[in-house]
Formats: sequence, C-alpha cells, structure tokens
Amino acid sequence: MDVEIIFKIAAIGILTAVIGQILKNSGKDDIATLSTLAGVIIVLIMILNLIAQLFETIRTMFSF
Amino acid sequence: METLYKVIGIAGITCFGTLLIKPTKPDFAVIIGFTGGVIVLYLIINYLTSIFNTFNSIIEKTGLNGSLFTLILKIVGIAYLTEFTTSMCNDTGNSSLGDKVLIGGKIVIMVMSIPIITSILQIVMDLLPT
Repeated sequence: MDVEIIFKIAAIGILTAVIGQILKNSGKDDIATLSTLAGVIIVLIMILNLIAQLFETIRTMFSF
Repeated sequence: METLYKVIGIAGITCFGTLLIKPTKPDFAVIIGFTGGVIVLYLIINYLTSIFNTFNSIIEKTGLNGSLFTLILKIVGIAYLTEFTTSMCNDTGNSSLGDKVLIGGKIVIMVMSIPIITSILQIVMDLLPT
C-alpha cells in the first residue's frame, strides 16, 4: 500500500505504448490495438483490488 | 506526523507520474491520478478511527442512544464516498456526472437524516408543557 503500485502502473503504461509502437511499425496493427487493450485491462484489474480494499475499510469504519 | 510526509510524497509522485505518462498514454494518466488518490485516502482513514472512538466514549458517558451516532457515522461515510467519486469524475473530465453524483449523495443523506430530525422534534415536544 505504497508508491510501488503507482510505479507499476506507469511501467505498464510505458510498456504498452512501446509494444504498440513496435507492433504498429512492423505492420501488425490489429495486434497493436490488442496489446494496448490488454495493458489497460491489467491496470484496471490492479486498481480494482485497491478500490475493493478501500471500500472494505470504509464499510467497516463507518459501520455501513 | 510522518503520515503527512507520506501523503505529501505520494501526492507529489502521483502528479509527476501523471505528467510523465500523459503524452504517451493519456488514459493511464487519469488512472495513476486515481490510484494516488486512493492511496492517500487509505492512509488518512486510519486517523478517523481514533476520532470515532473518542466520540463513542463521549456518547456512552452522556447516555445518548448510540443509534443516532451510528447514523451520523453513516452520513459522514456517504459524504466521504460521494466526494471521492465526484472528484474522480471531475478528473476524467465529465464534471456534469460529478454534479449528479453530488446531488444523489445529498438526497441519500437527506433521507437518512429524517430519523434524526424526528427524534429532535420528539425531544422538543417532550419539553413543552402540554
């Protein structure tokens, strides 16, 4: 629960951008869009766990 | 005090992270900003427990019924969540959605505060010499 998740997301973002560029240049445009989509989905799943944790804390805290 | 430094550090890193990512992947910038917000909230929320415990002990001493206090807690929680969602909506650019979430939060709080109002009226009625 610290900064490393921010760096992880930044790294995934840069990675997907680079992979997308490489695939685009080598002519495989459809795979490039798929790879960027995969990157976004991975990041969203990571965020999901974070938000679930936060909402669980809020639920127990405010006795919802 | 060191949590404050942690919060400042995370906020700074998140801002720079969003700036760095924005040209290459604009959608990731919003996600990074959102993650920073979630982490900061997570750090801050631990402080609330001490506040609520002191309030609980005060409530026990004065003998008020605890249900009102849990209701107030719920309302604070709802305000907390709606503000969080509204700022997230504003970040991603659709501020109109944020306003609607605000209105929704206000209505829910209004509905939940009706028992408090009725209990206050009840107390006032009991005081009146009928």
